[in-house]
Amino acid sequence: MDKEKQVYSMLEKVYDPELDQPLTELGFIDQVLVKDNHVKVVFRLPTYWCSPNFAYIMAEDIRKYVSEIEWVKTVQVHLLDHCASDEINHGASAGKSFREVFHNVSDGDLEELRKTFDIKAYYARQEKLMKYLLKIGMSKEEITSLSLQELNELSLPEEGRLLREKYLEKKKVFHHSSTFAITTPEGKPLTEEEFSDYLKGAKLTRLSMEFNAHYCRGLLEARYNLSAAYEGSLAK
Amino acid sequence: MFKASNGEEIFIIDAHIALWDGSKENQLNIHGEQFISCFYDYHKNLSPKEYWWPKDEFVKYSPEKLVNDVFMEGYVDMAIFQPVFLKEFYKNGFGNFDANEELSKKYPNRFICNGTFDPRHGERGLEKLEENKEKYNWQGVKLYTADWYGNSKGYKLSDDWSKRYLEKCQELGIRNIHIHKGPTITPLNRDAFDVADVDDAASCFPELNFIVEHVGLPRLEDFCWIATQEKNVYAGLAVAIALIHDRPRYFAHIISELLYWLDEDRIIFGSDYAIWEPKWIIEKFLEFELPEDIQEETGVTFDLEVKKKILAGNAARLYNIDIEKQKEKLKNCQLSKWIA
Repeated sequence: MDKEKQVYSMLEKVYDPELDQPLTELGFIDQVLVKDNHVKVVFRLPTYWCSPNFAYIMAEDIRKYVSEIEWVKTVQVHLLDHCASDEINHGASAGKSFREVFHNVSDGDLEELRKTFDIKAYYARQEKLMKYLLKIGMSKEEITSLSLQELNELSLPEEGRLLREKYLEKKKVFHHSSTFAITTPEGKPLTEEEFSDYLKGAKLTRLSMEFNAHYCRGLLEARYNLSAAYEGSLAK
Repeated sequence: MFKASNGEEIFIIDAHIALWDGSKENQLNIHGEQFISCFYDYHKNLSPKEYWWPKDEFVKYSPEKLVNDVFMEGYVDMAIFQPVFLKEFYKNGFGNFDANEELSKKYPNRFICNGTFDPRHGERGLEKLEENKEKYNWQGVKLYTADWYGNSKGYKLSDDWSKRYLEKCQELGIRNIHIHKGPTITPLNRDAFDVADVDDAASCFPELNFIVEHVGLPRLEDFCWIATQEKNVYAGLAVAIALIHDRPRYFAHIISELLYWLDEDRIIFGSDYAIWEPKWIIEKFLEFELPEDIQEETGVTFDLEVKKKILAGNAARLYNIDIEKQKEKLKNCQLSKWIA
């Protein structure tokens, strides 16, 4: 694999925390430049005002994942056309913490924020899986009593396998000790009575994230005059 | 007034319009340029192509164009100005009370001119608020919590000074607090769109109505949660309703959830003109039906009666407008004659 492709495959792991989608799919990566063992990743966002904290999370993650490639010596992150471009580009490329860079307007680092959005992504992915399991005929009781092992062993068509994989990937972040497959973000199993209300709440989170993703994609397209053909290639 | 196919005349209040000046001459800096460009992207992103404006017209348009798009073409009977000032980005401000007032005087009974305040102006601002109430008789204010002021990149409704201003509003009878939540609010390491401060303010000031513009998007779930707890919290539909053309299923989901969590008495129409024109939004909204699968999930009703509440009834209640009396008043208005 050539170097640029290697970088892109690492960038697939960088997610917009608010939209729970990879930057590569959102069209946020403008270009990747490789010179010997040095990499520069140029990225862009749908508006000049997108929250600097989310932008910083993305910039940090770009640096972190690209640095994992064996031959990479330095990673320079460059955010275009943003109200905090300078601070973010200098800070993230130098591996500084958010607090160091924005000390006058923040009172901590981004860990809480990352956690908040991990929880949102968890609800959104879980709701999709739960709805899918209901659709293929499982009862509420069967779903709430399902163990992790049983969920893994369920024989599912591709759509279901993908939903399961996405959900379990996010579930790992929380290090739950419970062996139940479907739990709250805190790791508590659901009762059959709680099931419907829980699902309604999770749905609202999923809708909110999906709305944001649609809106942001549209804005990016409007901002950079991306053609329909280009959008098509993103959807591949 | 929209004439339905059965001949019924539907009264419409557009609770979110603006007259702005985002022109190059008025811009103070790059932020001013970027702000209006961002609005233009919103405009192009969701408007049907045949409603796209040229950018030079979008940055600054005439009061006559507003009257034409909103009342003559746009079916709207009454409109509420929700001004945003952005003094750090524009020399004379983005919006302008006096321009709004002037238009309102020219076309009586057509406009409600809301004002604004910034709690970071301290004592001086409190006095100014009193003066403005006296001068303009504000019934509501639009708050833009993401506005910059000196080194501050935004404020929260739960700040001490915000509470003093809200107290003052309660005392002066400014009952309708429209809040737009935008990003870049400190502390920056938290979620910049968090609407939790609305919860706090709404429970402290039960006599005030809090209309959360853009239904708290992009935090719809947090907004619905708060609105379920606080009965004086309302959903302003601006932005969300513009999805009706490009993303009709998302719009269906959002309206269905709002009806489920809030009920039909707390949802208020706003086009967000000039970002979007009311004409196409209202046409599409009135003909819109919830897809069966979405309707079944929440079990809500979305019929003409509900639509009429959203389009006028709910805002009329907040602003003490008697729709039947208002129709009479407007019959002889110069605009009604032109429209006829």
